Parts: sequence; C-alpha cells; structure tokens
Amino acid sequence: MKRLLAIGTTLFLALPAVALASVESGEEEKFNPASEWTLHPWVEINIGPIDMSINKAVAYLLLGTVVSCVIGIVLMRVKVGSEPSKRQALGETIYEVAQVQIAEQGLPTKAIGRWFPYVASLMVFIWVVNMIGFIPLPLSDEKWKIWGVEVPTLAIFAATSTLSVTLALAFMTWMFTHIEGIRANGVMKYLKSWIPDVPKALYPLIIPLEILGQFMRLISLSVRLYANMLAGHMLILTFIGLIFLVTPWIFPFSVLLASVFYLFEVVIVVSIQAYIFAALSAIYIGSAIEPEH
Amino acid sequence: MLSSFFLLAETTGDVADAGKAIALALGIGLGALGAGVGIGNIFGSMIQAVARQPELRGELQGIQWLGFALTEAVVFYGLIGGLLAYVLV
Repeated sequence: MKRLLAIGTTLFLALPAVALASVESGEEEKFNPASEWTLHPWVEINIGPIDMSINKAVAYLLLGTVVSCVIGIVLMRVKVGSEPSKRQALGETIYEVAQVQIAEQGLPTKAIGRWFPYVASLMVFIWVVNMIGFIPLPLSDEKWKIWGVEVPTLAIFAATSTLSVTLALAFMTWMFTHIEGIRANGVMKYLKSWIPDVPKALYPLIIPLEILGQFMRLISLSVRLYANMLAGHMLILTFIGLIFLVTPWIFPFSVLLASVFYLFEVVIVVSIQAYIFAALSAIYIGSAIEPEH
Repeated sequence: MLSSFFLLAETTGDVADAGKAIALALGIGLGALGAGVGIGNIFGSMIQAVARQPELRGELQGIQWLGFALTEAVVFYGLIGGLLAYVLV
C-alpha cells in the first residue's frame, strides 16, 4: 500500500512536468494529442522506394528488443540451485505463464516444442515494448533547453501504438499460421479445413466469408493491440492537455484522472494485451496444425 | 416545424466538423455500449462459475481474460473507425 502511494505521488508530480516542458518549446501552438504520433525521421535511410528511416517508434522498438534480450538472459540463465533465488523464481513464473497459459492452451502437444519459443518471445517482447511505452523517456521529438543544451523532453510513447508495428507482428503470426497449416496437412486438406460443416447449398455464401475471415484475423489481431495502446496514451495525454485547453487550475483534477488511467494501463492493459496477442497467435497456429474436423 | 429544423442547420456554421465530432463520439459510444454488456456478462459468468466450482478458478481465469480482451477490443474498433472519420474524411 505504501509503495502504491509512493508511485501515485511520483506520477502526480512527474506527469505535469512532461506537459509543462512541452509548453516551453511551442508556446502559441494549439494543443493536439495526436501530434505525438507524427513520426519525424531522425536518421534518413531510404532503400529504393522503401522508407527505412529511424524515428521515434524505431528507437522504442530497438530499445524494447535490447531490454527483452536482457530480461531473457538475466532471468533465464540462472544457476538452478536448491534454494531458488528471486531471479530464478521470477524467471520461472514468466516461463510458466508462457508454457501453461499460452502454449498448452493453444498449441497441440506435438507442436509445442517448435512454436513455444515464438509465442513466448512474442509475449515478452510485446510486454516490454508496451511497458517502456509508459515510462517517461527522453526520446520525444520536442526539444527544450536545459542549461543551454537542447534535450528532448520526457514523453510517453509506445511503439505498439503505431499500426505498422502491430501489423508486422500480426502478419508474422498470420504467415506462420498458413505455412504451418500447409506443412502439417497439405494444401488441399488445409484449405478444405477452413469450410465448416454446412449444407452444400450454403457454400457460395460461406466460402467467401471464411476467406474474408482469414484476413479479418490479421486486422483484428493488429488493431486490437494498436488501438488499446493508442487509446491509453491518448486518454492520458488528453487529460493532461486539459491544463492548456480549459484552465491551468484544473491540474489537480486532470492529473489525478490521468494517473488513474496510467495505473490502469500499466497494471492491467499492458500485460493483458501481451498475453492476448501471444495466446491468440498460439491458438491460430494450433488450429491450423490440427483443424477441428 | 420542418423549416425551423433547416434554419437550425443553417445557422450552426461548420456542419462538417460537427458531423465528424458526432461520428467520433458515436463510434466510441456505441462500441462501449456493446463492450460494456459483454464484459459484464463475462465477469458475471466467471463469478457464477467460481461460486459453483471454486477449484476451477485457475483454469477459468485464462479463458476469462481472453474473453475480456476480445470483448474490450470492440470499443477500440469503434474508436479507430471514429478517428478515421474525424481525421481522414
């Protein structure tokens, strides 16, 4: 309880600092929370027509990759002793969630060995990227001067709140689903397994719907994660932004609300979305390997 | 009656912006309506299930959160639709 209070107070003090910093840089600008999602390229890399520039989202992704690698190495590469240390216990908890809750629920037993690493790393990676999205980091596009040096303002931004990132992740799962389905069943048998048991007269209606449904999986999987993170960040930014839109004296009220949403996102949404993405990936791949009929 | 209705529409100025704002609000609001019912259903059923068979709690929890996230996402589909209407159209 004490710890929660401490976190709450820190947030209460830290969150408006982010907003106040931004007011120094652009004084007459109209406040618009959506401007946080315009990505300016930091390092321009263009390969042909493909824009591979490094921007804020890419920086967050790289950071997330490094952090999830470190988490894997630190928590999983422990000497297993008779007295489990805290590190080992935490690592085992994460492993158990990935094994029992995700892999064993979705994947058939023969495919666990092959696909457990994929779903487990999806879970850890998405969790980490979501989580560092809620830690104020000096990685924003806005700059402010501190003792004559231009420093990026502290800001919260999640790479998973851009559609490209989640679409790439979802596309990976989607491709693996079909590759595994074809590998395990053969092309014709796999395609036939899409069609449910219905009278033959309904086929012209059902077949286009089922094919559309396969593509809808791609959209629903990516948009679920994207929109969840986008809405979370947007809510927090909007409540802080009320300071500029209404009156500065609203800040105790708006920052309190922003903190409540912040805690809700950090405690519940971040973990649930990571879990859901991995679990649905496992279920999709599993159902392609072993169709129900 | 009808003429006064049209008068109202003429005097309110930027109707396009108002329409966008209504689209955004309806997108979120109607999405939240459905998801609210759905999430209530899920947790209600979970409470009933655990009350009847407390030993199944662990197994049910995974399914519960899966259902929760799948239902909750409906709001965000509405939100994205509303945002698209607000920003792009």
